[in-house]
Amino acid sequence: MISNFITMNGYGLYVWLSFSIAFISCAVVYIKTKKTLKKYEQEFLVELQTLTLEEKNKALENSKVAQQILAISSKAN
Amino acid sequence: MFKFFSSSNIYLLIQKLIKFINSIFFLILVIGLTFALVLSPPDYLQGDAVRIMYVHVPSAWIGLACFSVITLLSVLNFIFKIKNFYFINKSLAPVGLLFTCLAIVTGSLWGQPTWGTWWAWDARLTSMLVLMLFYFLYILTFKLFKSKELIIKVSSAIAILGSVNLPIIKYSVEWWSTLHQPASIKITGSSSIHSDMMLPLMVMLLVFLLYAALIFLMKYKTEIIRIKKKNIKRD
Repeated sequence: MISNFITMNGYGLYVWLSFSIAFISCAVVYIKTKKTLKKYEQEFLVELQTLTLEEKNKALENSKVAQQILAISSKAN
Repeated sequence: MFKFFSSSNIYLLIQKLIKFINSIFFLILVIGLTFALVLSPPDYLQGDAVRIMYVHVPSAWIGLACFSVITLLSVLNFIFKIKNFYFINKSLAPVGLLFTCLAIVTGSLWGQPTWGTWWAWDARLTSMLVLMLFYFLYILTFKLFKSKELIIKVSSAIAILGSVNLPIIKYSVEWWSTLHQPASIKITGSSSIHSDMMLPLMVMLLVFLLYAALIFLMKYKTEIIRIKKKNIKRD
């Protein structure tokens, strides 16, 4: 039964290759997208750190995005 | 109403959606794979090769759907100048390209055991290849040009021009004699696919749709951060 599942009655190469290519490429795109997102979050935080205390407070007050990124990075740390 | 669509509110919504998709994705993936690889019966003609359908068909549908959305939003953006549509399209195009490439590659892998060839220059396959080229051109405009106005103009033109290919893809199997089989699933009218195969197909479609949504949301979130980073001092 397991051998039938692996060989797929002679079509195993095509079936497994199709599923593998689909899932590996999806995984690669996911990892790459997540990495880019993290990179931009980090860059945003660095940019936030360069601001004066007054500018930083103003930015945090006016931007929910800044608050969220800061909150997530604090959680991660 | 318009305040709800501010980038901050959209960002919060994206965070929640990403969390939600992450929480259910693996469960649905396991169910989908179990159906597609174990529970679904082999086809009476194609045998187990029919299982390739569970990755090929959803990929093709999503590739086509993404380009349809891109075209619609490009037209709307051209008329109403809604900047969010620009970012939605920019985030959606790579997802569409990925699934169009997957549809072509898995289609080729399905073609070899069923038709005896990896590729044929028939109407359906060639029109899908043309769609892939349009995706490449569309994404290239974001990399080639610096001016946002120019990008919107060129990318919209590519999307509108590429949309002519969409009905060709859909009806190619009816208009011309092709190796590719006609549609088994119809929105209007009865489908010729058995429910034992229809259910796994729908579950796998859900898996791929969730994945597509996840990548799109992550890319859109990245775009929002990029804009906010640029405007941080103005905020």
